[in-house]
Amino acid sequence: MAEISESSNSSKISSPKAEQEEDDFDSNTMRRTKPGLKRLALAFSVLFSFLLGFPLLWKSIEIYRAPLSFKDVDLLFERIKSNPLQFPCNFRAIFVGFDSKTSEELSRLGYSISNRMTGLASKTPQCGTCSGNFSVSVMIDSNSGCVESRHTPNACSHQCGEIRSVDFGANDDTVDDKLESALGDCSGKSYTVVVVNGDTGYKAVIGKYRHAWIVGRFSEEEAVLKISEIFVEVFMKGGNEEGAIHGEFMPVGADGRIVLSYNLLNANPQDWIYDWDFDRIDEDMLSPVVEALRNVANISVESQVLYHTPKSSYSHWDDERGAHIFSVGDLPFFVNSNEWHLDTSIAAGGRSKILHFVVYIPSAKECPLLLQLPDGEISKTNGFISPMWGGVIVWNPPKCLREPESGHPAKHKISSHDLQMINEVFMGQLRQLFGLTSDSLFLGRLGKAIQLTSDKGFTEWELDVLSRQHACFNLHSCATTLGSLSRLVQSLPRMIIMDEIGKQVDFSLEAAKQAENDASLGIFDSSADSSRQARSLAEDAFFHPSIMSVSYYSFEHCFAVYSPFFLPVSLHVILAALKEWKRYKQEKTKYLTWKAKVDTAAS
Amino acid sequence: MELLRRPIFSLLLLLSLPISFPSISLGSAVQGEDGHREEEFTEELLLKPLPDRKVLAHFHFENTAQRTQSYGRHHHLFPKAISQLVKKFAVREMELSFTQGRWNYESWGGFDPISSSNAKPPGVELWATFDVPPDQVDASWKNLTHSLSGLFCASINFLESSATYSAPEWAFQPASGNLRYGTLPREAVCTENLTPWLKLLPCRDKAGISSLMDRPSIYRGFYHSQRLRLRPAKIIADGADSGIVLEQTLTVVLQPNGFRTKSSHSSENKIPPTWAMSSLLGRKIEGRCVLAKSSNVYLQLERGLVAELNALKENQEFVGTTVLNDDLIENPAFEISVKPDWVLKEVGNLPTGSSSLMYGYSIGKSTDSGPFDLHLTWKSPMVWSCPRPPLHASRFLMGSGNERGAIAISLRSTGLNEGLYGSNKDKESCVLPVNVFQVVPWYIKVYFHTIKVFIDEQRKAVPDVIEKIRVSPSEDKVLPGVMEMVLKLPCGVKSAAMTLEFDKGFLHIDEYPPDANQGFDIPSAIITFPNVEAAMHFNQFSSSDKSPLLSRFREKNPVQSYTEVLLVPLTTPDFSMPYNVITITCTVFALYFGSLLNVLRKRASEEERLLRAKGRSSPLSRLLAKLRRKKEVEPQSSTTSSSLFSSKLVVKIILVAAIAICWQYFG
Repeated sequence: MAEISESSNSSKISSPKAEQEEDDFDSNTMRRTKPGLKRLALAFSVLFSFLLGFPLLWKSIEIYRAPLSFKDVDLLFERIKSNPLQFPCNFRAIFVGFDSKTSEELSRLGYSISNRMTGLASKTPQCGTCSGNFSVSVMIDSNSGCVESRHTPNACSHQCGEIRSVDFGANDDTVDDKLESALGDCSGKSYTVVVVNGDTGYKAVIGKYRHAWIVGRFSEEEAVLKISEIFVEVFMKGGNEEGAIHGEFMPVGADGRIVLSYNLLNANPQDWIYDWDFDRIDEDMLSPVVEALRNVANISVESQVLYHTPKSSYSHWDDERGAHIFSVGDLPFFVNSNEWHLDTSIAAGGRSKILHFVVYIPSAKECPLLLQLPDGEISKTNGFISPMWGGVIVWNPPKCLREPESGHPAKHKISSHDLQMINEVFMGQLRQLFGLTSDSLFLGRLGKAIQLTSDKGFTEWELDVLSRQHACFNLHSCATTLGSLSRLVQSLPRMIIMDEIGKQVDFSLEAAKQAENDASLGIFDSSADSSRQARSLAEDAFFHPSIMSVSYYSFEHCFAVYSPFFLPVSLHVILAALKEWKRYKQEKTKYLTWKAKVDTAAS
Repeated sequence: MELLRRPIFSLLLLLSLPISFPSISLGSAVQGEDGHREEEFTEELLLKPLPDRKVLAHFHFENTAQRTQSYGRHHHLFPKAISQLVKKFAVREMELSFTQGRWNYESWGGFDPISSSNAKPPGVELWATFDVPPDQVDASWKNLTHSLSGLFCASINFLESSATYSAPEWAFQPASGNLRYGTLPREAVCTENLTPWLKLLPCRDKAGISSLMDRPSIYRGFYHSQRLRLRPAKIIADGADSGIVLEQTLTVVLQPNGFRTKSSHSSENKIPPTWAMSSLLGRKIEGRCVLAKSSNVYLQLERGLVAELNALKENQEFVGTTVLNDDLIENPAFEISVKPDWVLKEVGNLPTGSSSLMYGYSIGKSTDSGPFDLHLTWKSPMVWSCPRPPLHASRFLMGSGNERGAIAISLRSTGLNEGLYGSNKDKESCVLPVNVFQVVPWYIKVYFHTIKVFIDEQRKAVPDVIEKIRVSPSEDKVLPGVMEMVLKLPCGVKSAAMTLEFDKGFLHIDEYPPDANQGFDIPSAIITFPNVEAAMHFNQFSSSDKSPLLSRFREKNPVQSYTEVLLVPLTTPDFSMPYNVITITCTVFALYFGSLLNVLRKRASEEERLLRAKGRSSPLSRLLAKLRRKKEVEPQSSTTSSSLFSSKLVVKIILVAAIAICWQYFG
């Protein structure tokens, strides 16, 4: 309104001059007044308030995402990938009965051993070994006193002459214990090989602690070769070829727990019923093992007896052996998952690994049931394992004698001797599931060595190897899981991330860092422990229920909700602003033409 | 198969596993005391002809375990899964039932141990008490529901939400505050629930009485209820719970495939159909489960039937044809194919004259003579009635429409209470207490002040009838409404009714279950008669040492019955509604906003000027001008601009249409 009145006013004001201009004033191309700015300002203020409000709206529809430290995750991933976890190891060679040498000569000897070891160890640094980071010290314990090589980090001195006094001709276990008492109080965990220059025949023994000894008559060069082989193949690699654990053969669950589920299966209780006294096995035989593996996994043990559990494939009668033979080819069909209700344990968490150990007692009509190896031999243990699942032993009742047809079968108990035998096989199976061999002889390239076994099922150097390997595997798995989580989270920008996930990721990263630190300091067990924690936390974060559930609030949904309002309104606002702007420009040119005209007329 | 085969093959080479594992010391190798014998298992089956020509089969399995050091870890007979559950969640007592069909209290009995403890509401019912501090009970309950859900392949996990379970204090069971109770009336029960249940039995369905469970026969029945009950065992005299008893029962009501049709109403038709175990259940018992301590089959004759038989016997004796024994094994009405190993007679204080009879068969013995099969051949017509509860309870809905309604619980006398209290001469002071326990979902908003009680069709003041009441009102989406009350009814009551009004609430769109138009279930109310006990004592026969089934019969449990499940239709929205609402609201707002903006920018004088300039050029503007009753002004010549304007408009419209089409196809 104002503009209209203004224009009318101005037209009145300009009326005195109007006479002369009337003829060349064209209302289509000229105007006498300045174009008004009110509507333009209005249209633009609406447009700008919309533009300003847009970030607010964006903020309001934003979903909650806990900040995840993507950078740290990526760093960890890169670090684990580029330089595999290496542990420092100390090796020590002690020569007994050799001529005395100077310290320099011993250093040279140590240098040649470590050279040889580098040659034996694989070229590329393998994860979880100490191939890249080890030190060798050499010592001679001779009649004229003890000489040590220089540069012996972490040197722990034992009483000179103590090693010499050990009678290496005695029982292996006694020697082992004596060596342990002489060397074991070293604070650092170092592996020792004692070379004894003696007249007795060649003999190499790997003890159940961290020692080995070689007795025989050989030159220094020979000794160097043997020492370095034992260091590398046994203490470093654990006696098996491939050092690292493959993902699909990892016997520990993602939460760092294992449930050992022992099952006694009576295939047909109509024939005989066997029971066992599992409490005793648990207390006497399994608890030391559980304790020994504490750093690698948190193990719990449970047992049950099941009945009416036939195997799912048939055996054939062999007259020669007087037994039913089950050949290897049918072995995949031995486990009858329909009838063997080896339930998953309720006591275990969701991601624990359950290893089933099954004692199968055949029914009377297939009684002496023997497993046949591919070469036609009969399996000595009458058992087999299935990686990641567990192991099966076929136990035949003594003499396969069935009770007279009284209708009611007698109830028996497996004798303690048999139970012990069964448990030994189970221990061997457990060792195999953990990737360790159960041979009593270590066959090296340069001869064989006797391996002593521990009451705990696992010797200390084997536990070290396991700790190293598991620490490596766990860290690797933790880094991969966190890496996938961070990629997933980054690829779905509208996924809700709970605070708890952020916390778990942080804790996991922290535990991983701790594991790496411990590894670099050579504390194997605590490194394995922290890495287990890191892996379990990473898995917890990845499988957090809030990620699994319907957490994806899509952009399409958001668009569908807001577009019915914002699409038409923004059209109006933008068009209004554009039109006003156009009009203002047009009117301004009109005014300018008139002004120019007036100016020319005036001049 | 290929998939299965591959991973196992990879390790077959490990077959030869040399024993290299010596020197594991076995402490004291002496076999200790008979430790595991503390776990005991028994199996029993009860068959009972029902008055309406059907047959009840009640399987009862009981498994007892001691709470030893290794409880929950090492087990011999007791299912490991259950013991781990009990240990992990500190369950003291628990009952879980899966039921299909409705128990007919009128004709299948409502006053005997079987009906009061095995008749269950349709769907799933779960209650449990916990040995934990009161503030942890809810957490334990939630974890328990999830575990059971996995164990039994059922949606028990829906009982997790606090709006579905309640904590009854005294009307359901006299219990401490640690009891939780929940039902899922709509849970469908089928084989997938039975299989895990059978897995808990040591012999599963491979041998023994459980081998009778032929799935098609069981699920063809009129009623099917599978129950799992955990109770503490008080074996040792000091009363401390020394173990746990797992009681698994399966109750089915089956219709024998009678040879006679029920077309005619002749007296011939009154002869109940002849049946055999093999025809009823489709199988015979091949042998006992060798792990069971006892394995028995019972045939029960109800009091009513025995009374009829005795009457028949007296008639016949009067005629003088046969002399019948007291155990009625030989009688003119029916014949059983196998002579029972023992006969038990009900003893004790009996409300009616005659006592019920129980024929026992031990399966261990009968295996020698082939599979066990029991035939019951009826020879003469027989009509009898079953023991009914003092009051027959039913529940129904009143009112119409989607806004409000009323729940009515009606109790009708079955004539029994007169017999029960007949001796009591002082009818005025004689009182029959009735406990009512009712859980109502929160979306049924019950007004508890609207309780009206009618006794013998006379409205009574509430305080006169209700002795004790506890109400916990519902809270939207959080708590269900719970009502526990004790009614004291006069003994001679003919009928009693109670009504409660309610409003139907609205659910959030996310809370509607699939198929919301079907309606919503109100769980069964539980009516308990605390002073009336359904216990049956049988004179113990020496050989039938301690049958768990019979000791359950001896327990003094109050008579309990469940009412019907009610189906309440609620208003169900059109589920696309929210989006429609969003769209229309936004459109209205956008229109308003756009027109406001246009009005703000309008230049009235200029438009008029333009209009004047255009003049008659367009018919529309002329019409508009006419409508505005404006005087037509001679137009100045500007036809060119108007044609230009219209062509611009056309281009714009086409552009918008093109954008719309593009949006449609490429958006």
